[in-house]
Amino acid sequence: MNTFVNKFSTHSAVSQLKRAQKLVAADEDEYSDAAWGSQGGFGNMIKGIPNFTVPAVPDPAAFLRLHTDDHADPSCKIKIQHGTTTLAFRFQGGVIVAVDSRATAGSYIASGTVKKVIEINPYLLGTMAGGAADCQFWETYLGMHCRLHELRNRERISVSAASKYLSNLVYSYKGMGLSMGTMICGWDKTGPAVFYVDSDGTRLKGDLFSVGSGSTFAYGVLDQGYRWDLTDEEAQELGRRSIFAAGHRDAFSGNTCNLYHVKEDGWKFIGNYDVSTMYYEGPGDVPGAPGGGYGYGIRTEGRSAADPPASS
Amino acid sequence: MDHFPTNWGRPRNDAYDPYGTFPLPHRPNNHAKDTFAEGVQRTQQPIVTGTSVLALKYKDGIMMAADTLASYGSLARFKDVTRLHPVGNYTVIGAGGDMSDFQYIQKFLDELIIDEFTAQDGHDLGPAQIHEYLSQVMYSRRSKINPLWNSLLVGGFKDGKSFLAYVDLLGTTYSASTLATGYGAYLAQPLLRKEVEGKEDTLTAEEAVRIMETCIRVLYYRDARSIDKYQLATITAEGIKIIDSRPISTSWSFAEGIRGYGAQTQ
Amino acid sequence: MPDMHSLAQAQPQQQSFNPYTENGGTILAIAGADFSVIAGDTRQSEGYNIQTRYAPKVFRLTDKAVLAVNGFAADGNMFVKKVRQRLEWYRHAHAKDMPIRAIARLIQTMLYSRRFFPYYVYNILGGIEEDGTGAVYSFDPVGSYEREACRAAGAAQSLVQPFLDNQIYFKNQTPAPGTSFPRHLPLPTVLSLVIDSFTSATERHIEVGDGLEIYVVLSKNSPSIQGLRDVRGVTELTATEDGERVFVVRRELKKD
Repeated sequence: MNTFVNKFSTHSAVSQLKRAQKLVAADEDEYSDAAWGSQGGFGNMIKGIPNFTVPAVPDPAAFLRLHTDDHADPSCKIKIQHGTTTLAFRFQGGVIVAVDSRATAGSYIASGTVKKVIEINPYLLGTMAGGAADCQFWETYLGMHCRLHELRNRERISVSAASKYLSNLVYSYKGMGLSMGTMICGWDKTGPAVFYVDSDGTRLKGDLFSVGSGSTFAYGVLDQGYRWDLTDEEAQELGRRSIFAAGHRDAFSGNTCNLYHVKEDGWKFIGNYDVSTMYYEGPGDVPGAPGGGYGYGIRTEGRSAADPPASS
Repeated sequence: MDHFPTNWGRPRNDAYDPYGTFPLPHRPNNHAKDTFAEGVQRTQQPIVTGTSVLALKYKDGIMMAADTLASYGSLARFKDVTRLHPVGNYTVIGAGGDMSDFQYIQKFLDELIIDEFTAQDGHDLGPAQIHEYLSQVMYSRRSKINPLWNSLLVGGFKDGKSFLAYVDLLGTTYSASTLATGYGAYLAQPLLRKEVEGKEDTLTAEEAVRIMETCIRVLYYRDARSIDKYQLATITAEGIKIIDSRPISTSWSFAEGIRGYGAQTQ
Repeated sequence: MPDMHSLAQAQPQQQSFNPYTENGGTILAIAGADFSVIAGDTRQSEGYNIQTRYAPKVFRLTDKAVLAVNGFAADGNMFVKKVRQRLEWYRHAHAKDMPIRAIARLIQTMLYSRRFFPYYVYNILGGIEEDGTGAVYSFDPVGSYEREACRAAGAAQSLVQPFLDNQIYFKNQTPAPGTSFPRHLPLPTVLSLVIDSFTSATERHIEVGDGLEIYVVLSKNSPSIQGLRDVRGVTELTATEDGERVFVVRRELKKD
């Protein structure tokens, strides 16, 4: 980027943002009247895009890149929490959404209990991969606008429209350092729907997605077991088994799996399953589970001299 | 979407080649690539600088000390500058760092005191208020990436209470019974803590002066940006006293005993 | 292994102003059934220098909410100041204190409004929910947050959090046959866990020490008040009557 080009261009990310907000860092007018009283909180954002403080440097994106964490420079101090394996797929019985619950900051496991499924409203779910705050904030914000859509149009927003709202929104911040890879999942007039939206501005309609560093492992299990005519139980088991695979093989994923099922009458939380427990004992007595652990120990037991049957 | 988690939450660098199509091992780099960066630079480094300021609490109030040198790089440029400045009737500020920024601070604090005086509302600013004001200015300037390049000590005595606090170019603040900026934080602070901590209410002015002289002397021996002339300020119930600069006695005979640095033969 | 020397390092680089620093210290909060404990050490340091032995990192916001901040001290103090301003505006508009879950969301939006110039602050908010249960909310610097039962943040988080996982969540422990682990621990147990966490962190981390401030928030008419009876150095900070009560316990930590 280039200061002079930035200063006079009409379409660089920074100049657009600054113009949109009439933001001059020198006279920061952070609070509108709307910040006062009951409007405090999200209230001040209904009227337009929220106000962001941008550092007064020639290249704000480079500033952010310099100060937020980076594998090439571990001395960067501001560690933003990261989400990691998420998947969602569409089938005959609705949408299955399954995610892990690990958040890492460098090699430290910052949390093992993250809610990576964001409940936008009773009919819409969003998943969290990328910057945890980016996903939480913008999907909550999306929820507000979905509600406004309902009030204005006397009907629920379609999954397509909701996801397009989000993708347009993050696209307007392109190049500023937002990072989210999310699946917007729900049920509307067209039936079950899954849209992939990311911070590059990509928006894709599809049957099956997985996002995050563990996505390759999840895809491996998901692809071989996926059919349109899966039963509800089979589908839930497939989601669970895929997240297990990612949690088992990807260091950035793990701890537990959260499983949601979206049907015509909205989403339902199916359960929370510990990845280690699933390895040894399986997910417990849940519909669709084969019984026993997912670990391959069960399959190899007694098949070689090095691993004799436990009973003998 | 970049699936590698440690890149998440950070702006993508389009100059970086994520799929390794270019044969060099190359990581996302952190440096601004702005051809015209120099054109929009602000005070990014101090030019004429002062070194340490020392302060301690004692029986009667606060004592502060600073040498009188303003350096220009390694040049001892101005040898008789005042780095202790009275603000109102109860407060003295002492500054290390950029001297032009310090003069700007003196100017706006003097204006502030005049404004407050003009109001004649029966309130006047004590050291706590001046420190708060100063720390807000310092923090807001750092937030504009246009800092006032100083480390400041604010000492004062008002309504029977002494006050001593620090603020710097980042807006970092803290308070303790002994404070030192710059090299003083390394060389003088341990001495000050040893002599003062726990004795804040019994230490006499004479003892405090002796401690300050020792510290200034130690700094002069090892801080290459210091000078053997210093000023002393006291802020007590009697008001502010800033004495004219005076020299410290030095003795270099100990240098004979040092081995391992210079050109000595054994 | 090819030479990993990157081009970036070979380029001439300009030293520009860094608006951040790190001031050390550790904070910690644990939620109980009807109380919440929020603690922090009082050392402020930069590099190997101890700047002061007493700089509070834990702040009472209302009678039912206490906020602990850790990271860059100037950002932390400014952030607390701004949160308090917003809470006061809320009090003027509604003649009551903001509920803690609303404070948590407020903190998220305030942190996120600085997404492109972050506050380098890790926040932990502790207090009492409207239903009388103890709550702990933890935040990352740009505002992602979660309600939890316990959380440590700051310099010694990697020392303290595993200890809490073991003692609060009973991770990697098996209950004796015929028994089960309690869902919530009583106040005296929590207080001694907090004190042990900080004395141990002081032993093994150079940026932790000097003093310890433990805030205890009790829900209305909480029987846990008994747990504070025999604790030495307790001060009550409650401002309103017949509601939640806030106490602070101050302790010394090693100063070396």
